Amino acid sequence: MVKYIIKRVLQFIPVFLGVTIILFVVKTVVPGDPIKLIAGDKALTPEVELQLRAANDMIETDDNGAIIYDDEGNTIATPIWKQYIHYMSGLLHGDLGTSYTRKQAVTDIFAQKYPYTIKLAIVAIIIEAVVGIGAGMVSAIKRYSFWDVLVTLITSLLVAMPAFWLGMLLQLFFGVWMKDWTGGAFYLPISGASGEFQDWVYYILPAVTLAAVSTAYAARIMRSQLLEVMNQDYIRTAKAKGLSRHDVIVHHALKNALIPVVTYIGIDFGGMLSGAILTETVFNWPGVGYEIYRAITQRDWPIVMGGVTLVVIVVLVINLIVDISYAFLDPRIRFGAPKDQA
Amino acid sequence: MKDHKQPMMGRRTFVKGGLAASALVALAGCGKKGGDTTTTAATSTGGTLNYYLNNPECIDPFNCQEDQGTQVCFQLFDSLTNYDFNKSELVPLAATSWEANDSADEFTFHLAEGAKFHDGTDVNSKAFKRGWERIVNPKTTTSPSVISYHLALVEGYEELQAGNATEMTGLTCPDDNTFVVKLTAPYADFPYVCSHPALVPVPECSSDFDTFYYAPVGNGPFKMKEGTKWEDGQSIDLQKFDDYYGSDKATIDFVHFNIQKDVETAYREFQAGNIDIAEIPTAQIKDAISQYGESEDGYTITSGKQCLLGDEPSTYYLAINVKDSVMSDVNLRRAISLAINRQAICDTLFEGTREPADNIVPPSIKGYEEGAWSYSKYDKDAATALLDQYYPADASGKRGLSLNLSYNLDGSHKQIMESVISDLNAVGIDVSSTTKEWASILDDYDAGNFQFGRLGWIADYPIMDNFLYPLFYTGNGDNRSQYSNPDVDTAINDARTTVDDSERISKMQAVNKTIADDMPVIPLFYYKHSMVGSSKVKSIYIDPQKKADMSQCELNA
Repeated sequence: MVKYIIKRVLQFIPVFLGVTIILFVVKTVVPGDPIKLIAGDKALTPEVELQLRAANDMIETDDNGAIIYDDEGNTIATPIWKQYIHYMSGLLHGDLGTSYTRKQAVTDIFAQKYPYTIKLAIVAIIIEAVVGIGAGMVSAIKRYSFWDVLVTLITSLLVAMPAFWLGMLLQLFFGVWMKDWTGGAFYLPISGASGEFQDWVYYILPAVTLAAVSTAYAARIMRSQLLEVMNQDYIRTAKAKGLSRHDVIVHHALKNALIPVVTYIGIDFGGMLSGAILTETVFNWPGVGYEIYRAITQRDWPIVMGGVTLVVIVVLVINLIVDISYAFLDPRIRFGAPKDQA
Repeated sequence: MKDHKQPMMGRRTFVKGGLAASALVALAGCGKKGGDTTTTAATSTGGTLNYYLNNPECIDPFNCQEDQGTQVCFQLFDSLTNYDFNKSELVPLAATSWEANDSADEFTFHLAEGAKFHDGTDVNSKAFKRGWERIVNPKTTTSPSVISYHLALVEGYEELQAGNATEMTGLTCPDDNTFVVKLTAPYADFPYVCSHPALVPVPECSSDFDTFYYAPVGNGPFKMKEGTKWEDGQSIDLQKFDDYYGSDKATIDFVHFNIQKDVETAYREFQAGNIDIAEIPTAQIKDAISQYGESEDGYTITSGKQCLLGDEPSTYYLAINVKDSVMSDVNLRRAISLAINRQAICDTLFEGTREPADNIVPPSIKGYEEGAWSYSKYDKDAATALLDQYYPADASGKRGLSLNLSYNLDGSHKQIMESVISDLNAVGIDVSSTTKEWASILDDYDAGNFQFGRLGWIADYPIMDNFLYPLFYTGNGDNRSQYSNPDVDTAINDARTTVDDSERISKMQAVNKTIADDMPVIPLFYYKHSMVGSSKVKSIYIDPQKKADMSQCELNA
């Protein structure tokens, strides 16, 4: 197991280098000068423009930060490979650079944003687990009943519905229409994460939106897995032994049916921790997803690079944890051992 | 010496109720600053104003560059002067009076006595010097401010901005309450520059850049709420500053800036009751006016008259690359301008929330002359006649003119530009378009790789000079038309040296007409407010530059 983990961690290195190199190439190919965007609609003075380029490692400077000029008096663009080395060197020291537009360290920006993403992901994953597993169980146990049809219909709808559209519908319904109908009983904030309300209220709409599609998938997986398990021989044996329907489902069927559902939810949680760009954007949620989206539109490359770097690390680690968890969920699985010992 | 000693008006002259009579009452109700109080002190109504804000670029005066950050700066800081749009004149703010020398290159400001920063330290001339030099000094933080150009005319600017000096020699402090500014060239409008909300004093604690950046300590009527800072993308909370030096202390206790990503989301929050003042999405203007009523003066929200549609000092225009071989023909530029139906754009696409432009200088700027740009109007027959004279059509109706229009796709520019193209097609001009993201379009403009393209100009200071100098003076970065007329340059320089206000404005008007004949840009329309207040707001004045007079806002219980 330890060897397997070390092997997987070492595999991070080429993946990580590959992603960051691709990003650097994209940065050079994408049109639009980020420095000119800093000033908005108005032009920068030539002196300030040069200073901004020097401060952001776009032109060569000496050790004192003074701009280096060539023999003809022109500035010298920092080669992309040198920028990459500077970036990686900074990364190894925990420095992801400074935002072009906000003049703040990228690590500080994400230190502010990440807690929001984590909290939203936790609330969403709880909704997904409870509602998804619950609905799937009801659907399977009450097969072909009204409830089964209802769950199937709703999950089909949710799977087909884009998250941003669902989010906007929820905003309109709970934030605007229901308020008028109920005289303010549904007085929800419809976006953002700070204001005069109780903290937990802010999570309701974005968490439901974020969890919606995954919950539908979880319910469907739960339903199909439970139905499949219920037809297994050992379940028939359990029934023949005279166990109650409750005992058969809870103690025998559910445990085995849950394995693929839990795996799915685990991987989904990793995705949520990487930031939900659509949900966070619709709800003005101050997480990493929205931050990366904003940075892309502003060509704030240090934030884009830092955000993607963070996301890559989170996804790699979560995938590793999910892989390792298989060993605990299913004792037949062993990592790093010869097949005949598995 | 030109002496500007006026009765000390309140920090923000405002209009209550939108009625002329009540406006006079309100103006009279503005207190003096820092001492005598011959007028009625404002009574506190308390409460919290929830105000929509798009996430600002910066709320520290160091980089206060767009209207959202400026809104916050304006509440936290007092600059030397303030422009009173109701009176169309500059009024005292942190300076009680000022005078210029005869050559208009040295200005002496006399500061209000007894003023304090929110941290209790004194506001004095050194604090102004510190605040201004902090903007210009590239070593203030890791990268320079992009707004140091405001002070480019101050003596010693170049040395400090280049990092070769530690202070600007043109800023001197003879005593605590006298601040002297020496310029390198005459600029009689300089006191208007001093009204910019970034050109303010800062206390010594501003040396802790990272802390100050998110929780600035100013000298304005509001301070950052205790224990809070700018929550990036979420909120900014202010509270009344009890030790404010003026008599017009804030009447409300708190301001909660509710930061939203766009106008549509903010308007939904407004409808949900979570925001008191928001922007109205264009598609909902008519519904909003019908539901909430329209303000009479366009700038004052009162009960039942809650939608603001007043003019703003900003112009949407087409920049023409006059170096382009085709567009260098002034007659073609004039014909293009005459062919565009501006009223149709304003009515159809903006539900009347824009005003057709007949001048690059908007009506809210002193010196604006109606119809000063004689070719900035819709006259299809005149356009056709001009084109027939210089570009006669062949049998198929084509004139052999094939132009390219550049614009960025975000916002509603696409619909506007399609309307322009349609109008030009109607007079026999073929127009293709180049559409890119704003960042890429800027590259094209700066490299001169365009024939004509859309731009907007928002005044930093509400004076004619702030339109004519940046947009048309030879070599200026914002002169993207690459227009160069030595006569215009000379005339602008001459106007800048003229100390007398009316004489200077007359000279600017003459320059403006010369530029209008050359048509290096085509003004399309003026921006207008499209804001709404909730029934919780009893009264608030939001000036043409969108700076809200929050200190004199009144809320219903």
